[in-house]
Amino acid sequence: CGEYQKVLKSEEPGVKYTMAEKLYNQAKEENSKAKFRKALRLLEQIVPQYRGKPQGEKLAFLYADSYFELKDSYNAGYQFERFTQSYPNSDKVEEAAFKSAKSYYFLSPRYDLDQTETVKAIDELQKYIDAYPNGEYLEEANVLAADLRVKLEKKAYEIAKQYHHTTNYKSAIVAFNNFITEYPGSPFREAAFYYRFDSAYKLAINSYQYLMKERLETAKGFYNNYQKYYPEGSVYYNQLQTDFQDLDTRLQNF
Amino acid sequence: FTLLACCLLYSAAFQAQDLPIGNGQKYTIGKIEVTGTVSYNEQTVIAYTGLKTGEEVFIPGDRISKVLKKLWDLGLFSDINFYITNIDGNVADLELEIQEVPQLAEIRIQGIKKKSAQEELIKENNLTPGTKVTENLITTTKNYIQNKYRKDGYFNTKVAINTTAVVDTANTNKVNMVVNIDRGEKVKIEEIDFVGNEQFSDSKLKKAMSSTKEKNFFRFWKRSKYIAAEYDEDKVKLIDKYKEKGFRDARIISDTLIKKENNEIALRINVEEGRKHYIGNIDFIGNTVYSDEQLKRVVGINKGAVYNGVLLEKRIADASDPDAQDLSNLYKNNGYLFAQVNTVETKVYNDTIDFEIRIIEGKEAYFNTISVVGNDKTKDHVIYRELRTKPGQKYSQTNVIRTIRELGQLGFFDAEQISPNFKNVNPDAGTLDMEYSVAEAGASQIELQGGYGGGGFIGTLGLSFNNFSLAGIFDKDAYKPLPMGDGQKLSLRAQASTYYQTYSLSFVEPWLGGVKPVSLSTSFSYTRQFLYDYQSRRPDKSKSFDILGVNVGLAKRLNWPDDFFTLSQAVGFQRYDLNNYTTGLFTFGNGFSNNLTYTIGLSRNSLRINPIFPTGGSEFNVIAKFTPPYSLWNGVDYNDLENQNEFQLKDDSGNLINRDGTRLRTGDEPVGDQSKIDQEKFKWLEFYKVKFDASWYNTLFNFGPKSPLVLKTHMEYGFLGAYNSDRGIPPFERFYVGGDGLGSYSLDGRESIALRGYPNQSIVPLDRSGLSQASNEDGAVIYNKYSLELRYPITLKPMASIYALTFLEAGASYDNFRDFNPFQLNRSAGAGIRIYMPQFGLLGIDFGYGFDPVPGQSTPNGWETHFIIGQQF
Repeated sequence: CGEYQKVLKSEEPGVKYTMAEKLYNQAKEENSKAKFRKALRLLEQIVPQYRGKPQGEKLAFLYADSYFELKDSYNAGYQFERFTQSYPNSDKVEEAAFKSAKSYYFLSPRYDLDQTETVKAIDELQKYIDAYPNGEYLEEANVLAADLRVKLEKKAYEIAKQYHHTTNYKSAIVAFNNFITEYPGSPFREAAFYYRFDSAYKLAINSYQYLMKERLETAKGFYNNYQKYYPEGSVYYNQLQTDFQDLDTRLQNF
Repeated sequence: FTLLACCLLYSAAFQAQDLPIGNGQKYTIGKIEVTGTVSYNEQTVIAYTGLKTGEEVFIPGDRISKVLKKLWDLGLFSDINFYITNIDGNVADLELEIQEVPQLAEIRIQGIKKKSAQEELIKENNLTPGTKVTENLITTTKNYIQNKYRKDGYFNTKVAINTTAVVDTANTNKVNMVVNIDRGEKVKIEEIDFVGNEQFSDSKLKKAMSSTKEKNFFRFWKRSKYIAAEYDEDKVKLIDKYKEKGFRDARIISDTLIKKENNEIALRINVEEGRKHYIGNIDFIGNTVYSDEQLKRVVGINKGAVYNGVLLEKRIADASDPDAQDLSNLYKNNGYLFAQVNTVETKVYNDTIDFEIRIIEGKEAYFNTISVVGNDKTKDHVIYRELRTKPGQKYSQTNVIRTIRELGQLGFFDAEQISPNFKNVNPDAGTLDMEYSVAEAGASQIELQGGYGGGGFIGTLGLSFNNFSLAGIFDKDAYKPLPMGDGQKLSLRAQASTYYQTYSLSFVEPWLGGVKPVSLSTSFSYTRQFLYDYQSRRPDKSKSFDILGVNVGLAKRLNWPDDFFTLSQAVGFQRYDLNNYTTGLFTFGNGFSNNLTYTIGLSRNSLRINPIFPTGGSEFNVIAKFTPPYSLWNGVDYNDLENQNEFQLKDDSGNLINRDGTRLRTGDEPVGDQSKIDQEKFKWLEFYKVKFDASWYNTLFNFGPKSPLVLKTHMEYGFLGAYNSDRGIPPFERFYVGGDGLGSYSLDGRESIALRGYPNQSIVPLDRSGLSQASNEDGAVIYNKYSLELRYPITLKPMASIYALTFLEAGASYDNFRDFNPFQLNRSAGAGIRIYMPQFGLLGIDFGYGFDPVPGQSTPNGWETHFIIGQQF
């Protein structure tokens, strides 16, 4: 530790360079956060000095990767992106491109907050997938991107469902319609079909008499739609059938 | 031979391979040489370009172009050229010639004496040592300085900038800069002269020009500078003045600026007035939704009226007020977002003009997707439930404006930064998307205090989280640093000193169940205090007084009469426990009292936009608080208590005694024991209480887009009564008028009513003056208060909102309705300031002058200083 302090205060970039590299390698082997942190402190000091020099490339990578290992995704994403732009010929550029995208993945917040970072992360992952169609991290990149897409789908689905929950049935129908067209492969699709029907059904039975028939028929249309895409049904099946029985009886009374 | 590589911008994220440009040929790089450099190491430059000997590149090619762009992007060079110096087979030697931009070494500003003004110029133009001195920098600096002084009236400002190379041994390529400024004298307007005006006098026209004024000895405080940009604006105002009075064709034929002596100028404006015009027929074309009659009513200008171009434009579409009651808003508020309204003059005969108002109504617009961006902490469901615009609804501008107002009032976002963005506006399909952009503001407050007072150390810790998430407390990922974003409010507060402790906790969920805005609030508090022992100067732990309180309330936003109304109900319970605690407050030292109440309140709040600084709207509250009427059924005759053996004075062995402690002799009347009677009366408190308050906010004048002068008008009344006059009104829950109104730690559910300009709780009922001090400590049962407050914002930034205020106030309290006199008031006036910071809440100081004597005194009360914490008057 005494030696580290000495190097930290020393004026010679060469000494710091050697030590930082050594610490980084040790940290990587032992998976030690403390050592990454130490390496990072040295790197912070010398990266600007070596910028534009032959060693700069390696340092820039170590610098970004230390942030990455320390889960400082904000800095890691930025530094890796900078690396790919400054050293497009580097051997490490693929790894950097992926890690940059992955850092943005970590920055993506939970589904019910602003998703600007999520969109950016999907964008970065897609850029990686396009640039390295046979890349080493392709499989992981695809998994991460799919994960984020499901997050966006969940957001849209939950917003639509809130309109249903707050009894704004007309708005719920519009929102579920949009959801169904926009996200064809979503895991929430069946639920969206069910809640679209349920919104239309509840809207219909709470309407004035003169509006009811038309609205019941709309609901019936949504029911048929659901049946067509999900003939087996799942969680919602029983509730769906009960409601439809009621709907059908009401319709026959007109 | 040489070849100049051309610079082409091209960007691709991760591509490394080279592409030829035109008929570019592939070469292997031989030697690379850098020329023209002054301060940079050759190796450093080559390493930066990324080119290596032995690498294959196209010349000209994409790779070389990218290298050039990268070098240009550094902003360090004024010229960059690639040359091929030698070709041997397919091996090409390259020369990279770069010309560095000189750096600024020293700067000198001449012609401005003030050091601070010089520094300001350097700062505003970024002229710090080390800056690259480009031609662009010199030109922009020159223009900036010239414009800056012209704006201040130095119309003849001249600026010259010279640079000289620094000669030193290190050959560093630096220059010194000298900025010469000759401001000349301030140019003032000696006279403004109008030619051709018959309808309006010179002075009327001069008045219309609001920024350009003549020099006038009696108006020495007003400026008379000549500023070209303002003069141009004033010319438009001049013509508008004519247009308002029917002179549709008025125009300025010419205007001349005449230089006079002493740096003064004269302006000569030649106007042509034209003739006065009147309005003829107004026809509406294309309207199917509204009848001609309805539209005419909105326009409100009739045939034969003097032509007023400015007013007519305002009635059709008022550009200055998006909320105006004009024709285009009539359509926009009712779903016709795409409506277009054009006014056309169809016929001009003599002095009369016929109009046609042509309306293209377009399709009705419906909202499709509604989205929110910028919520980094607050969860979607908390925001979406507040939005007044929903998918599938008809477009309404009113609803958009109301949504912004209500989002601002949540307190989670910076109210000044909420904006609606129209997206995917599609007139053919009749749909649009709406995106609300918000910016999170700090919603938590921490209060940590320590101090010496009242005989010991007092420590306070208060935490208030306004956007808490109860669901998140078991989720370890939610701690950033605390679970946030569900819109719940949690407050914790603990205060302790050697002789008392108080703890409180409250929690509010504004949307219980998430279906409708039904807010649930719960609170719990516990206070324990000890009597001060004057001999040991310590709290006496054997003499204590405990108060335990629990409150549960529900509040619901109503849809009728309108949805600004809220109905609230609450059940509360307080238990007071006295243990050997004898003070003037109660007649008994050992005993207890329970207070079970039901409160019902109706309030209406339509305050506009910023909850800290409302600029419009109003707020009303009516609150009634009841206890059960125990005396109706418990069969106790409270008037007769003193005649019952149980409640009469006795000694330790149970014999009836006199007030002086001697045994009763035969024939003596037994004496009631006041403490036993009171214990019986206060076992379960019995009372009812009604309060009313109302506030109105009006913007009197707008000094700028964010500096309105606001008048707040406020009044409030309170009344406390008993169901059973024998049982009487308890000494609890009473009103104490005067001072800052801060809840001094209250033992008895008392309400402190603020009245600035008087000491705290000093305005007791007038009929009591002259009585003993003890009776002055009892609260009143009726009070009223009126106040007028003028507010002006100093800043409304999210970090801190500050406003100044002046006030007039009056209030009084009474013991019964017989004495009630709404005009016999204690009046005061004063001024103060408020600072709101999200972390600390509201802080302020007021200086008030009391014009009337405090009851019991004979001279006016005079000045009082009030500190305000966390509460708004």
